[in-house]
Amino acid sequence: MSAVADRYPELRELGVEVISVSVDSHFVHKMWDENELSKMVEGGIPFQMASDQNGAVGRAYGVWDESSGVEMRGRFIIDPDGVIQAIEILTPPVGRRIAETIRQIQAFQLVRESGGTKATPAGWMPGDPVLEPGPDLVGRVWEVWNPRMEK
Amino acid sequence: MVGDADGLENEMGVRVGQPAPDFTAATYHRGEFGSVSLSDHAGKWVLLCFYPGDFTFV
Repeated sequence: MSAVADRYPELRELGVEVISVSVDSHFVHKMWDENELSKMVEGGIPFQMASDQNGAVGRAYGVWDESSGVEMRGRFIIDPDGVIQAIEILTPPVGRRIAETIRQIQAFQLVRESGGTKATPAGWMPGDPVLEPGPDLVGRVWEVWNPRMEK
Repeated sequence: MVGDADGLENEMGVRVGQPAPDFTAATYHRGEFGSVSLSDHAGKWVLLCFYPGDFTFV
């Protein structure tokens, strides 16, 4: 979570609220923040750290691991209408890459601001060309995009 | 429930393009205890991150 905290200013600039969730109590969140995270991220964790001690939230989101009694690494991007736009779920041993989450948020925001008239091709980064899906684009994507454009 | 479409959807929990389930949970936030509901942030983009436990660093 310190990786997310580190990029928090950028997320705030994008107008994103962050909520982290684990089975730990809010008391343990405080201990972790004060004793460890604040040594990695100046000022400690800047977002709300939620406690899901009985796993109810995790179950609702399909990330509850019944056998070990913890949440898997589930990441959900939720739009201003409360609709889930993206889901990534990893088993515990592998961590996320926050840069990819930010890229996806930027892409979803672009699509939303365009009223759904634009789409971002594979590997799209902010500033790259976007696609305007429609009859004119069919069979002509090659003119504006190719796989080698992915960095 | 196997083979039942509703049961399958319940097991999967959620899907992209579908509403995010609302919840309320106790929180720790910048030195204070409180609570948060997803609906508190209606009208905003939300990044919701689950992780296995505090004091883990993968």
